[in-house]
Formats: sequence, structure tokens, C-alpha cells
Amino acid sequence: MPNQRSLIAVGVALVIYLIVLPALLADKPYFLGVLTTASVLSVIAAGVWLTFFIGRINIGQGAFALVGGYAAAILMTKLGFSFWIAMPLAGLTAALVSIVIGIPILRLRGVYFAMISLSLTETARLSAQSFRSVTEGAKGIVNIPLPGAVEIFGFTLIPDFSTVDKHLAFYFLAAILLIATFAAMYRLVNSRIGWLFKSLQQNEELASSVGVDIARLRVIAYAISSFLGGIGGAFFVAAQQSVYPASFQIQDSIYFMLYTFLGGLGYVFGPIVGTFVLFLSFEFLHGLNEYQPLIYSIIMIALMLWLPNGLLSIRLPGWGLGTKANPERARGA
Amino acid sequence: MEQVIINGIYSGMQYALIALGLTLIFALMGVLNFAHGQMYVLGGFVTYYVYGVMGLPFVVGLAATAATLALVGVFFEFVIFRRVLKLSVREESTMLVAAGGALFLESLVLIIFGEKHRGVPSVISGVWKVGDAYMPYGRLLVVAMSALLIGGFILFMQYTRQGRALRALAQDREAAQIQGVNVDNYSMLGFAIGATLAGLAGGLLVSISGVNSGLGTWISIKAFIMVMIGGAGVVPGAIIGGFILGMLESVGYTVLPGGETYLVIFVALIAFLAIRPQGLMGKPWG
Amino acid sequence: MLKRKSLMRSAAIAGIALVAGLAVGDGAMAANEKLKIGVLGVMSGPAASWGLVNRYCAEARANMINEAGGFEIGGKKYDIEIVSIDDRNDPKLAVSGAERLVYEDGIRYIIGPNIDTTAAAIVPVIEKGGAMNIPYAFSKDLYSPPRSHSILGMIASYQAGPVIYKYLQEKEGVKSVAFVARNESDSLNQREEGVAAAEALGLDVLASKDTYEAGTTDFFPVMSRLVGLKPDLIVLSGVAPSDAPLMLKTARELGFQGLMSTETAQDAKILSEVAGDAANGFISVGGASTPEIRSEFMETFSKRYEEVAGEWNDEAGTKVYALEILLNTIKTAGPEAIEDVSKFKAQMDAFKMTNPFLKDGRDLHFVGAGFFDQKRQISVPMVVNVFKDGEFETLFVGSVD
Repeated sequence: MPNQRSLIAVGVALVIYLIVLPALLADKPYFLGVLTTASVLSVIAAGVWLTFFIGRINIGQGAFALVGGYAAAILMTKLGFSFWIAMPLAGLTAALVSIVIGIPILRLRGVYFAMISLSLTETARLSAQSFRSVTEGAKGIVNIPLPGAVEIFGFTLIPDFSTVDKHLAFYFLAAILLIATFAAMYRLVNSRIGWLFKSLQQNEELASSVGVDIARLRVIAYAISSFLGGIGGAFFVAAQQSVYPASFQIQDSIYFMLYTFLGGLGYVFGPIVGTFVLFLSFEFLHGLNEYQPLIYSIIMIALMLWLPNGLLSIRLPGWGLGTKANPERARGA
Repeated sequence: MEQVIINGIYSGMQYALIALGLTLIFALMGVLNFAHGQMYVLGGFVTYYVYGVMGLPFVVGLAATAATLALVGVFFEFVIFRRVLKLSVREESTMLVAAGGALFLESLVLIIFGEKHRGVPSVISGVWKVGDAYMPYGRLLVVAMSALLIGGFILFMQYTRQGRALRALAQDREAAQIQGVNVDNYSMLGFAIGATLAGLAGGLLVSISGVNSGLGTWISIKAFIMVMIGGAGVVPGAIIGGFILGMLESVGYTVLPGGETYLVIFVALIAFLAIRPQGLMGKPWG
Repeated sequence: MLKRKSLMRSAAIAGIALVAGLAVGDGAMAANEKLKIGVLGVMSGPAASWGLVNRYCAEARANMINEAGGFEIGGKKYDIEIVSIDDRNDPKLAVSGAERLVYEDGIRYIIGPNIDTTAAAIVPVIEKGGAMNIPYAFSKDLYSPPRSHSILGMIASYQAGPVIYKYLQEKEGVKSVAFVARNESDSLNQREEGVAAAEALGLDVLASKDTYEAGTTDFFPVMSRLVGLKPDLIVLSGVAPSDAPLMLKTARELGFQGLMSTETAQDAKILSEVAGDAANGFISVGGASTPEIRSEFMETFSKRYEEVAGEWNDEAGTKVYALEILLNTIKTAGPEAIEDVSKFKAQMDAFKMTNPFLKDGRDLHFVGAGFFDQKRQISVPMVVNVFKDGEFETLFVGSVD
């Protein structure tokens, strides 16, 4: 059970995130936009974190974001679905694809899994370019409508994004996605299935010998991970109102991994911290022009040298914010 | 048809050379060196400057490249990897710090050498025509030098004291340490050799394909594919992987010109690894 | 031990804060009021040269203007400040970059971005934020109604292609053509347009599907197939300046005797370094930099460009026009256009100025109605060059209309 102080901390963070920040930044669309992007990137990175949690280095999350993005775009423009139905379906599509791919490749471990997952993003991009009848190929899908209204019995549950301040609307959508994702992740990690996942990370043979169906568990974890990637992809496609084969690239996959890692692999909330710190620092270093990526990479290396176990490994005594999910030294079996 | 096979051998030789350094560092340290492609690029630029701009002989350019990259390798090992390997809870950390190193090298190369593609004139010009096949002398020279370099490297690993120590290290770190191998020094040496091989590949190939600051990621990805085919951490595996990829490309671009070549290669790779997860020659689970 | 560690940590955090502080701080104030123009594009990674050339061009021209005392709009002088942002060809960064320029820096005029993916992604930002931008991407959707905030900054491949093919068909007797493109959206789209144009001219298209992957270093496999088809002309669709010389050299080494051309701008130095004599006869679209056509003003500009970038790049010859036409259209439209782009748009149909970069004193204005149903393209002269012994020579100068 989380202690009282950490509950207070989470409460304060939520108030700041949902009330104070949007109130302060309501007329600052750029800052709102950066926080929105970082929030959804954290959701996608949460998926990567879950694959790390079962002991797999995932450098292919961009592929599932692209799959989700295309699924949402096709559902909205060709089949006339509402965004609110297309987004979860995009997540499910990504999850389905990941099950098909995951069954063979999740048997790989260590660097082998890392390397094959790295080629998934290119595979997704090439597929988007090659299957033109569905994806429009290189022309991309453009002029995608903004999310529409959701009404129940004449009562507007969600307003049409084109009629309200869309920056705030996307911010709140991103915030809700982030909160829901991490609440679910927290529950998942601390549930029975979470313990089983963790047993995979520590020793697959042992887990298997005590009767855990490891192959199924791995695929379940990967499907959840890719579901989050698909949801995130759908969000960006709706916000940018277009999708191209290059909307998510290998660089994105590498960054999702770095965000997750720098936040701290042992902490459920690691992806949030890692994503916000890295994405925000990249944005705010922009005045350095050509030195921006250089300084950015130095910050990244310095963080890894001083905090090799992630940003959340700086622990203030008594504040149990990061749920430590992996205290042991886990060398891949 | 002859041309397709010759193309495959050309590309294969280049790729084998590219994969060599990556697989060496992996064998020794268990580090997947994400910065491999960027080291290749840096090597290409050093050769470009010494040979192409300063006009010194090609061999001097390669020597300067080897020296520069050995230093870079030592720096990476000593300043970054050693510390991360010791402190980190998870072994993946090294891979991530290498990804940071890749970004660092790439931005540095862009700032120092600029955004333009650079190249040098062929070391020797002319084309040798046999039947329907064309073989430029410049390429034959690079292929021969690559073969020499790969051969020399294998001899070094096989027959010198340092080579044996490195192999012992690759097989079992703890055991090597008990046997009196200075693990720290040899890790550094191994890293320096790995980086040098990456740089020399860039230096040799700059005479046929030139180099630009953004090439690194693609080189790394191709090297990963070869290593996956051949098996991680196994030198002959990397060489075979290189030749297989070269052949696949050559045949692929001939029969599937419409852009599906790499899609097919990736899908085949997934299928292949599903059957043989450790690649052709790798030890199970690297 | 613990103490030392935490000290190092604080030092690192302080260092980061310092760097971030430096990044935020601005330069010294100048006497004139500032007019900020944004440059958004890819300035790192494999395609770095596209965005960097835009940035260097804008900075070089801004330096010239500021040293001459500023740019006059409505009787008032403005110093031009270029704010540039690297989007790494990533649509997410392009969106946040555009939002930063529009909402934080209050910029209304942006040069870039460089590819369809990023250009399409920022359309919502540009429209909602009331800004104009000059993308260097060819997708017609960006410039056709209902869109109206984007202006194509260069000659599109579908405009240059037919002109070049027709010229080669008439002058060189070209009958058959083979296309090859980089396996990426922008190149593939350019190839498709090129194939259609060649077919319309009655040329025999021998290869319309061939591609190569980004990051290819060995072009023997790709070019062997094309050369084997024995076309009169090989078109390198949307080829990057880094790939073109390799493809030329490889084709010649494989015994190819025919012609080769592209519709994008290339750099003579890269061609001569990498391909050498093999690049002789290569036809590409150039800018205002060849000696036959450039004005004295252009020569001054290239010197200033070298100061900024360290080295001249012939790609810059096609990218000099963006800042020039933006500023002069604002000037004609009056000072309100600085904040209100609808004033700018109202001026676009009629606006006209003398092209300062060329000797022949032709007009610089907005064109493209035939392609986009509205004037949303800069009348960049279509300079068709041929490479010869390390330099470009101008074959002819055409125009879009």
C-alpha cells in the first residue's frame, strides 16, 4: 500500500497538472503544446517501460505508434469513424499486430531482441509506403478532421475540438491519457500479473519451471505495450491532422527507449520523468542552434554517468514517489 | 548476371568490414555499440581531410584515421563505459549510453565537418571489363584492402598474445581475470580496436562512396542486420552476415526494384530469427 | 563518498541550468526595431543540409540588410532577426517548433520546413496562428485551396521535369528514360510526377519503379539494373546532393553512355569531389549562382553566405529568394502586414519586384495558379544547368508559368 505522504504527493502533482498548469498556460499555446506532446510521449514510453519490465529491450515502439496512427487515420478518413472510437481501435490494431510479430520475436532475448525490434520501425515505414491501396503510400493521409463532439442524450460530454480552444482540449486529452495509463500501469505492476511479469525479468527458466506460461505472458505484456504505442500514434495523427510513412521514425523509437531508461527502469513513473526532462530540455536548448544536439547529448551522457539507474534513483528520504519495481540486480538470465 | 554476383561480393566485402568492429566490441564487453556508424563516419572524414584536402598519400590518411579512432575508442571505454558498466543495475545501460555517444559524435562531426557530403577521388581510376561485368579498379583495390584488413585482424586475434587475451576475455570475463588478464586494460584495447575498425571501414570506403555526417545511423542499422544474421559476438559470423546482406541487396534490387527489397529482408530476418534466434554462428543468448 | 557524489550531482544540475540559461538569454539590443523571421527545418541528421542552407541564406541576407541600416517598411527601419529551429524532419518537433515561433516569438513569417511530412504537420499551427510559411516540399495539397497560408519556395519537380525532358527530347534526341528514386515519400512522389510527365511527352519509360534506400553507400546493385535497360536518359528523382554523385559515378563505371538528369538542386563541389569527370554532362536545376546569369548583388551575397556557412553551397542559389520576397511583399503591403498576414495575402496577386540576383533583371513575383489554383509559389527562375569540369554551366533559364 502506498503511504500517506506519497498519496499527498500524487494529489499535489495532479492538482498542478490538471488545474494550475493549464490555468497558467491557457494563453501560451507553445508551452501547452510542449507539455501535451511530452504527456503523450510518456504514454508511448510507458509501453516501452513494460517491455523492459519483462526483460526485453524494446527499440521498436515507433513502429506501433505508426501502425496506430495509420489505423486511426484510415478509420477516420475512409470509414468515417469518430476519433473517439478510432483511437481505442488504433490501440487494438497495434496490439494485434504486436501479437503476430511478438510470438516469434519475443523468444529472442538481450541484444538480439533489441536489434530485431530496431528494424521494426523501418519495416513499418516500408509497409506504409508499399501497401498503397490502404495507406495512400508516399502521399500520406492528409486533411484528417479534428476530434468531433461526443453527446449523450443531448448533453455534450466532449466538445468538438474545432469549436473550442484546441490547444487546451488536446492538453486535457493528453493529461487524461497519461493519468489513465499510469494509474493502470501502477495497478498492473502491483497485481498478480505484475509479479508474474517481474518473474520473467528475473529468471524466465525459473518462472517456467514453477508452471508460469511465459510465452503467453510475454505476448500479453508486449500487446499492452504496443496498445499504448498505438494510442499515442493516433493522438499525434489527430493533432497534426496528417500521417506519412515518416511520421514515426527510428529516431523516435530510440528516444522512447532513452526516455524510459533515463527516468529509471525500476520505477513505474520513470517514463514520465524521463520523457518530460529530456523532451523539455531539448525544446529549451533551441537557442543554441547547431550546438543544441551536442549539448543535449552531453546532458544525456552525463545523466547516465551520474545516475546510471535513472533520474528517479535520486530519492528524497521518506518520499516513496517512485514505486520501486526492480530493486535487485537483474542481469538478463 | 555476373554483374549481380560481383555486386554482391563488392557490397559483401564492404559490409563485412563494417560489421567487424561492432561484433568485436560486443564479444568483449557485451556492449552493443550504437555509436559504431558514427565512428565509421568520423573515420571517413579524417581520411577525407588527410588524403582529399591535405593531399597526403591514401595510406597516411588511413593511418591518421586509425590513430584518431583508437583515441576515440579509448575515450569511450575509459570515460563512459567503464563507469556505467560498474554502476548500473541493468546491463542495457551500456547500450543506451552508446546511443547518447552516437548522438554526441554525430553532432560533433556536423559542427566540425559541416553538412555537405564529402568524397575523395578514386585512388586508382579505370574499369576492368570481363565479359559483361564491369569492375572499377578503385573498387577492386578497396575490396583487396578490406580483405587484407580482415585477414590481418583474424591473424592478430589468433596468434598474438594480445589477441589470445582478448579472446579469453570474450569467452569468460571472470575466468580471464583469474588467469591474470588485466581486464580493464584489455577492455580498453578491445574498444580501441573496435573503434579503429569502424573508422578504417569509413576511411577505405570514402574513396568509393564518400561520407556525410548523417550516415551513421544507417551504417549502424546495417551492421546490426549483419550481426543478427551471422550471430552476435562471433567474428566469422559478422563476415558471413556481411556477405549474405550484400548478396541479398544485389539480388533484391535486381528482382524487386520497387522498394520492397528491405521490407522482404526485414520480414525474412524475423522469420529466420524465429527459427534460429542466435543467428548462423552465435552462441545461444549471445 | 556519498557527499562527493551528491556534490557532483548538484554540479551537473547547476551546469544544465547554466546552459539552459545561456540558451534563453538574448543578444544585445540594436537601435532599430526588430522584425523576426523564422526558419524551421531539418538542421541535423542525414538531411541536415536542406534546412541549414535555408538558415544560412536567411542569416547571410539578414546580415547584409542590418549592416546597411535595416529594412524599410512604411518609413520605418527594421533590423531583421532570424530565429531558426531544427525539426530533425520529425513532425512532432516541427509542430512544437512552429508553435514556438508563432506563439512565443510572435513570428508571422516562417521559411521551411523541408519535407511533406513536416510541412503537412504544421499546417494546423500556421493556419490557426495566423502565419505564412514557405515550405520546400512539393505536395500540391499544401498550396491548393482550402489551404492558403503556404507558399512553395522553389521549382517543383513536376514543373522542371517536363521542361527538361522536352529539351532533351528535342536537342539530344532522347527517346527512352528510366527513373530511380530514394525510397522515401518525397522522392517517390517526385518520381511519380516525373513518370507521368515523360509519358505525356511520348517518351518510352523503361523503369518507373526503381528505388534505393536512404543511407545506401554502394549503388552498384541499383544502377546495374537501370544501366542494363539501356535508356537514353536516367532521371534521379528527388535525389539528395549526397547520393547524386555516387549514382553518376556508378552508372559511368558500369559503362553507361547516355544522359542523366535530376529536378533538384545539386552542389558542384560535391559532384566534382565524389564523381569527378563522371559527373560531366549531368543536368540539374540550379539557382542564381552560375557566372553567366548572376548579378553583382548575387556575388556579394555568396560572399556573405560563405562568412556564415564557411563554404558556398550551390543549393543556396535556389533558396535565396524566400527572405527577399517575404520582406518586399510586406513592404508593399504596408506595416500592418507585419502582424496581419491577410494584408500580405491580399498583396500576393499583384506583387512584383525586380529579381536582384540575376543580371537579366526579370521579375520576382508569385506564380503557381496553373498548379494550385492560386498564386502560392515564388517565381524562382528555372535555371537548368549542366555540370562540366567542376562547375555548372547554364543551359537555359525557364519559368514556371
